[in-house]
Amino acid sequence: MTASRTPLLAINDLHVTVEGKQILNGLTLQVAAGEVHAIMGPNGSGKSTLAHVLAGRPGYQITAGTVSYEGRDLLALAPEERARQGVFLGFQYPVEIPGVNNVYLLKAAVNAVRKQRGLPEVDAFEFLGLVREKMRLMHIEDSFLSRGVNEGFSGGEKKRNEVLQMLVLEPQLAILDETDSGLDIDALKVVAAGVNSLRSPERACVLVTHYQRLLEYVVPDIVHVLVRGRIAKRGDRTLALELERRGYDWVTGEAA
Amino acid sequence: MGTPLTARIIEEHANAFRALPPAGPTAARRRTAIEALTASGLPTSRDENWKYANLRPLERLRFNPAPPAQPLTAADLPAAIPGFARYVFVDGAFAPALSAALHATAAALTPLAAAPDAGGAPAGVPAQTPDARASADERFALLNEAFATDGAAIRVAAHHDEPVRLELVFVASADAVTGASYPRVELRLDSQAQLLLIERHVSAGPHASFVNSAVTVDLGCGARLHHYRLQELAPRAIVFDTLCAVVGAEACYRLYGISTGAQSARSTLAVRLAGERADLMLAVVALGDRQQVQDTYARVEHAAPRARTEQVFRGISAGRARVAFNGKIVVGKDAPGTDSRQSLRGLLAGPEAELDVRPQLEIYTDEVRCSHGATAGKLDENMLFYLLSRGLEPGVAQRLLKWAFLEDVVAKIEVAELRRQIEERLALQVHEPLARAESA
Repeated sequence: MTASRTPLLAINDLHVTVEGKQILNGLTLQVAAGEVHAIMGPNGSGKSTLAHVLAGRPGYQITAGTVSYEGRDLLALAPEERARQGVFLGFQYPVEIPGVNNVYLLKAAVNAVRKQRGLPEVDAFEFLGLVREKMRLMHIEDSFLSRGVNEGFSGGEKKRNEVLQMLVLEPQLAILDETDSGLDIDALKVVAAGVNSLRSPERACVLVTHYQRLLEYVVPDIVHVLVRGRIAKRGDRTLALELERRGYDWVTGEAA
Repeated sequence: MGTPLTARIIEEHANAFRALPPAGPTAARRRTAIEALTASGLPTSRDENWKYANLRPLERLRFNPAPPAQPLTAADLPAAIPGFARYVFVDGAFAPALSAALHATAAALTPLAAAPDAGGAPAGVPAQTPDARASADERFALLNEAFATDGAAIRVAAHHDEPVRLELVFVASADAVTGASYPRVELRLDSQAQLLLIERHVSAGPHASFVNSAVTVDLGCGARLHHYRLQELAPRAIVFDTLCAVVGAEACYRLYGISTGAQSARSTLAVRLAGERADLMLAVVALGDRQQVQDTYARVEHAAPRARTEQVFRGISAGRARVAFNGKIVVGKDAPGTDSRQSLRGLLAGPEAELDVRPQLEIYTDEVRCSHGATAGKLDENMLFYLLSRGLEPGVAQRLLKWAFLEDVVAKIEVAELRRQIEERLALQVHEPLARAESA
């Protein structure tokens, strides 16, 4: 850990309610550039809420706490501003949008980031070349480009499409919300290869997951266990293995 | 019925009668129509199926046919569609000088006013008078029948390998204070005949025209018709439109209505699936903004076994507009094996806009498969957030979703240049960004 520098993401004492119900309850977490963190936890512990709050989804009330990203107040930014600053959310349930084709969305997303950085729009031809290269890595067929966003995709295809978008956008901070759920072992390896290809000293990744299976392929630097809206335990990758052996009751019991 | 409106129609008809041509609707048919109107009157907002139409402008417009128009040029018309013979009608009257590429299809179309046999229905088209006794729905067609001066009689025979391609452009150029425009189409496809028909209603200039169009369609056994109807009138125009179609056995009718223009538009579509295994796809796209009214009533009657209907509506209501679609499917007792689907979706794009989407199903037999889905609401928040989370501006994301909502239907239009023109127009209309998502 390069603790001397400002962390890329610093969450401090975060409290969040949804429709009056307390979901996050004093969560504190720091992620430095170059690190991969895994957030594990039983169902209902607040994992997805955390991912959504970081991306700026409406419907969550932040009642206390702060989140800073690159030293700035992340919560003050609109969702599209966060995306343009390099925050990416890989959805647990990617939305189907018939009538908007995949390549259009990819291009619009890339150009939004480039505009933010004062760069001109991408060259259409070069862009297609880049997308095709990433598509090969993600085992996605060419016909995908002209199809509607996630339209008629299987669960696995949708997840691979999320990772493809991430690879094309090259975010500083990627938050992947249960990207591994519902994947067979081959698809899991493809997704893991995609995530690993983006690992670098400048970027960080937060993997939200229920199972440790993904972590065999994307080895995390730190594992956090979320219970009732706060971090109940943290450790290295062996914590995930121990959880797998002993079950979540082990930590929920301890936290109670 | 002695309403002042009916009395005025009768009076204007009596004054205009001598000047009306003997062809088109014959004198006898005109008289029958005006008698039926005298008996029943035009619909009022109290009539079922007319609740959402804007009938108030009728009080102040004139019913006599518009006087001859100022000459127009091709520049006043929409860009031509390659491969289609174009017939242009100005304020209801055939304008040969503006028409083009007629040689390919001359046999198929006769201008009604020039029909050789002025005593009967022209060009072998059977007179299909809407049944005034049955319902109020087709009474505006009676008004057309009483006043129309010209129109297109189209008959397509079966001996073409390729479908015949025709474009009818009806231009409204007169203001309603001088008179009305009565576009009229009487269409008959013989057994196994094929036709691609574009029917387009546009304005020349900004006038507040009154347009009352009537279209009859008769499809013989195994005939195939793709019918694209575009209502693109100027923003102050008032239009009433009535289409009555009969679809024969194993015939296939694809009807697309794209209604974007006019101040106030009402379209009444009545399709009867009269032959076994008749196949209908009826898709309507309507956009309303400012104070526009876009009202469609589509009634599909299954009168024979094993016929199929797909009814689709996509409408967006913005500004202070009112957009309504009332889609009724009636499955008669002689229609076992009916397969009908309705997918009616409306999008409310402003706090003062109004949207009414209503599916109706009446079934009088067993062994049918009828499904319907109807939604009326705002943009899907999950889709919107997904696009925002990829960095798109809220305005861009909203326009994109509105576009996608319509594209679902428009993408099915197979005539590439026509689709391009429609997409261009729709893109212009959804350009106005909405306010930021309410939940944000």
